[in-house]
Amino acid sequence: MAKLTLPAEEWMYRGHAACPGCGPALAMRLLLKGLGPRTILAIPACCWTVIATPFPTTALAVAVLDNPIESTGASLAGLRAAADALGLADVTVAGFAGDGGTADIGLQALSGMLERRTDAIFVMYDNEGYMNTGVQRSGATPQGAWTTTTPVAGTRRGKREPKKEIMEVVLAHHPSYAATANPAFPEDLVRKAERARAARGPRFLHILAPCPPGWRFSSEETIALGRLATETGLFPLYEVEDGVYRITRPYGTLKPVDEYVRAQGRFRHWTDAEIRELGAQARAGWERLCRRERETAAVARPPPIPLTA
Amino acid sequence: MIEIRFHGRGGQGAVLASELLAQAAFLDGRSPQSFPFFGVERRGAPVTAYARVDDRPIGVRTSIVTPDVVVVLEPGLLRTTSVGDGLRTGGLLLVNSPLPPARLEAPDGVRRASVDATAIALAHGLGSRTMPIVNTTILGALARVTGVVSLEALGRAIDRYVPAAPAENRAAATDGFASVRLGDPAAPSANGAARIPFAVTVPIPEGPLARLPSSSIRTGSWRTLVPEIDERRCTRCNFCWKYCPDDAIELDGRGYPVLVLDACKGCGICAEVCPPHTIAMVAASEGP
Repeated sequence: MAKLTLPAEEWMYRGHAACPGCGPALAMRLLLKGLGPRTILAIPACCWTVIATPFPTTALAVAVLDNPIESTGASLAGLRAAADALGLADVTVAGFAGDGGTADIGLQALSGMLERRTDAIFVMYDNEGYMNTGVQRSGATPQGAWTTTTPVAGTRRGKREPKKEIMEVVLAHHPSYAATANPAFPEDLVRKAERARAARGPRFLHILAPCPPGWRFSSEETIALGRLATETGLFPLYEVEDGVYRITRPYGTLKPVDEYVRAQGRFRHWTDAEIRELGAQARAGWERLCRRERETAAVARPPPIPLTA
Repeated sequence: MIEIRFHGRGGQGAVLASELLAQAAFLDGRSPQSFPFFGVERRGAPVTAYARVDDRPIGVRTSIVTPDVVVVLEPGLLRTTSVGDGLRTGGLLLVNSPLPPARLEAPDGVRRASVDATAIALAHGLGSRTMPIVNTTILGALARVTGVVSLEALGRAIDRYVPAAPAENRAAATDGFASVRLGDPAAPSANGAARIPFAVTVPIPEGPLARLPSSSIRTGSWRTLVPEIDERRCTRCNFCWKYCPDDAIELDGRGYPVLVLDACKGCGICAEVCPPHTIAMVAASEGP
C-alpha cells in the first residue's frame, strides 16, 4: 500500500452542500489538513457559508465565525486579539474568503489586517467570480470570460478587464508569508498551509478553486483543469517568504493554454488569436516570476518589519 | 385554483418548468403564479418549485403545502425526498419514469401518471445522459393529464422563454403530451398510511450553535452516476481518496478505497484521476 502523502485526519465533514466536483470544497478539505484542529475560521458571505451551514449542521470540525463579506480581515484581527487575551497562543486564526470577499468587497479589511501586521492567515479561494449568487463577474474573473454580467453577444466578448493580480496587491504589504496553491497539487497545498501555520505575522494563501457550474465544465474535470492552470503558467505555484520568491512547481517548458481554454464553456466564444494572446500572457507572467525568483534569491533578508502590532 | 409542486434536481430545469407553466397559463388567459423554493440550488441537489393557476387573480403568496399535483422530474427523488408530502386525496402524482403508473408508489387515493421523459428528452438532444433536461417533456405530459394549460400555449411559452433549442423542446413537449400514461388511484395500503418515504429529519439542537456534523445529511441522493471500483486492478495509490471534494472515499486497513455511499455526489473526479483507470462511473440506478 502506498504511503499516505497527506495527513489522514479529516477536519471537514462529508455531507456538505457543495456542488459535485467543487474546487472550493477540496481546497477547504486540504487546507484544514494543513492547519489542523486548533483553528478558528472566519468565513464571509461566499459559497462556503452555504456549503458549511445547512442549519443545524456544520461541515467543519473547527470553530467558525460567519462574518459580513467585507470584514474578514477585521474579524481576523478581533479573533486574534480575543485568542491572545484568553491565552490561546496555539490557536491559528484564519480567514477563508472567496475572490469577491478578498480582492473586491473584502479588500480594505484585508489591506488593513496586512498593514497592521495582524498575526493571522487570510486564505482566498479563487473561483474567479461571484459563483454562489449565480456566476457574476468579479475582479478576479479572467479577461474574456463569460459570466451572467459579462455576456457574449454581438460585439461583447465576455469580461473586458484583465484579472486583478491579488498576489501583487498583497505582496505590496510585505506579508511574512504568501503563497499560491491549487487543490490539484494536494501535497503542495497542505505543505503551504503547514508553513503558513508555523509562521507569525500576516500571512496569505491564494488558492485556485475550479468551479464546474461557473466555469462551465463537467464535474469530473476539476483536477485536470486545476493541473492545466498551473502547467500552462496561468496559475504558477510559488511562495514568498519575507520577500524571497520560490517557485514550488518549476517547469522547463509550459504547456499550451489551448486545452485549458477549450475545456471551459465560459471561453467557448474565443478565437484562436485570443487563445494565442492568453498563451503569450501566461509565458510573460511565468518569466516575470522566474526573474523574481532569481533576483530575490541573491538578496539577503529584507529590512525588518515588526511582526505584530 | 390548482396548486402544483415540482420536484427536481439542480440543473434539470424544475424552476424553469414552473415558470413556463405559468407563462403558458397566462397565454391561455388565466391567472398564474410561479416561484421557486429558496434553498441550496446546487447541481444535483433536490430543488422544489411551485405554480398556481386560477381563473381569477391569486392573492395567496405562501409556498404550497397541500398540492393538487406533484410533478417529479427525476425518479430517484421518490426514494430520498418526501415528494408526496401533503398531496391531496384525489390529487395527481406525475413522475418521469419508464415504469407504468401502477408500479409507482403514491399516497392513498392519489392518481398516478408516468412519462419516460428522460428517453424523450435525450431523443431530442436535450441535456446529457447524467443530466437530461426533462422540463419541457414533462410539461407536455402535465398539460395532457391535468388540462391546466393547452399544448398550444405551452408551445408558445417555450418559443418565447426557453433560452436554447426551442424547436427541440417543443417537439419533446408534444411527445410528452402523446406518451404520458395515467393510472388508477393508489389503493389504500393495509395500515392506511402514505407509502411515499419521508425525508430523513435532522434533530434540531438546543442553543444557537450548529454543532451537528453535516455527515448526517445524505448527499448521496444527489448523484446520477456512481463510481464502481475494480479492486483487482487497484494499486492502492490513494489518489481517489486524496482528490475527493466530498470526503466520500475511505481507505480500509489494507489501503483499498471504500466508497461512502451516503456522501458520494457522483462527480466522477475519482474515476478521472485514477492512474490505472480502475474506477468506472455507472448509472446510479444500476450501481451499488
